[in-house]
Amino acid sequence: MKKRSGLTLRGIARHVLAAAGLMLLLSGVCLASEKAPGLKPAGPVLLAYGDDDIWDETGQIVKKTPGAAMSVADQVAETPDPLEGWNRAMFTFNDKLYFWAVKPVAQGYSFVVPERPRLWVHNFFHNLMYPVRFTSLMLQAKFDAAAVETSRFIGNTAFGLGGFADITADSKPYKPIPSVEQDLGLTFGYWGAGNGFYLVWPFIGPSTGRDTLGYAGDYFLTPATYLNPWYWSMGTKGYDKVNEVSMRIGDYEALKEASVDPYVALRDAYLRMRYKKMND
Amino acid sequence: MKKIFCVFGLFLLMLSFSSAALAGEPQDRLKGGIDKVISILSDPALKGASKRTDRQAKLRAVADSFFDWRELSKRAVAENWSKYTPKQQDDFVGSFSELLQKTYIRKLEKYNNEKVNYTKEQIEGNQAFISTVVVMKDKSIPINYVMIKRDQWMVYDVVVEGVSLVKNYRSQFAKVLSKESPEALLQRIKDKIKALDDGKNVDDIVGKEG
Repeated sequence: MKKRSGLTLRGIARHVLAAAGLMLLLSGVCLASEKAPGLKPAGPVLLAYGDDDIWDETGQIVKKTPGAAMSVADQVAETPDPLEGWNRAMFTFNDKLYFWAVKPVAQGYSFVVPERPRLWVHNFFHNLMYPVRFTSLMLQAKFDAAAVETSRFIGNTAFGLGGFADITADSKPYKPIPSVEQDLGLTFGYWGAGNGFYLVWPFIGPSTGRDTLGYAGDYFLTPATYLNPWYWSMGTKGYDKVNEVSMRIGDYEALKEASVDPYVALRDAYLRMRYKKMND
Repeated sequence: MKKIFCVFGLFLLMLSFSSAALAGEPQDRLKGGIDKVISILSDPALKGASKRTDRQAKLRAVADSFFDWRELSKRAVAENWSKYTPKQQDDFVGSFSELLQKTYIRKLEKYNNEKVNYTKEQIEGNQAFISTVVVMKDKSIPINYVMIKRDQWMVYDVVVEGVSLVKNYRSQFAKVLSKESPEALLQRIKDKIKALDDGKNVDDIVGKEG
């Protein structure tokens, strides 16, 4: 407990204020960066067989104005990639990092720790990320979802052994609420900010101009950030990552094995998945 | 009297449970296919590494009878499809479906008693969109199927968490074809299959720079 002496109430308040300020600043930059000139779409405009789609990815009837070639989701998937050289290099770096370091560790870990405890750890970290979800939902004016998420957080923290047990998983709200899995990058998108451009970070993975700013804001809303000293913070986040990967071994491998250009496959998957989350 | 009530109650109960059976033709067909896959994966007689070839052959047979590989390939290659001769098109459909089956059947084998819920069915003319949710231990994944009516309803696209298989390949193929010939793309798919057959570590199969 002594190690967490940095976690005083005043300290937290100061950090939250700083985060809020930074976020407002960044959101301005983000909205402005949307109109950056000279960025060309990543690929050619695809017509022919995309034209006669009846439904979009979520099952909504595609409504296209005459003359518009693509649905919004398709346009998002065509986010410009002006830094493709850097991005491909980082993609290769992350790929090696996964196969040489993260995956072996996650495999060893999942060999020693059974699935159930790993699920508890997953619940714990998910519960801990509540500030990110709550802030994002409030900024998106989804107050009902924010309220539900708050009661879940209180319930799981107080009666679910500090979040290890997801006791509120089965309690459904009275009326359907939008998805609570939100972060600041998605919030900026919800406000109308575009992705800007596609960007791959070492260690972090696929991102965009917009999501990078969101990630920076989320950083300050993540409780593990405030652990003292810094290597405890890094270690905790690293452990969370390994625990997550241990439950997803095989997903990335399948995507990579099945694709003729894994870099493009991952880019398309990332952009479309984020777009869907934004609208959930 | 009690008996009558009992029978009536049972009847009501059955009615409430049969709502799933009231679904339209495409959803019934899809559910039949998925149920078949699940029964193969959970069949104790087909479990274990020694039964792998047997099991995979069965899964392939199911996949072949439920997927319209030609429609899927055609939509993925999109406007470049006409650059292939009819013979090359057949070759493409064969190779591409081979690659998909090889990789995704291996993935299916990780099946761990996940439940599939059918949430919505939409039919427009000869096409259908079926929404399902696969309930996993730590989260639920929406998986949607787009189907087209041939002799029977066939699946031609699968959308996992908003990522369409057809469109994901369309962007990859467009990227490759912007720099290489249609023949080179076909060759790439074949090389990929060969690498998988040779049992190369996925780590080594880095796609050539696009």
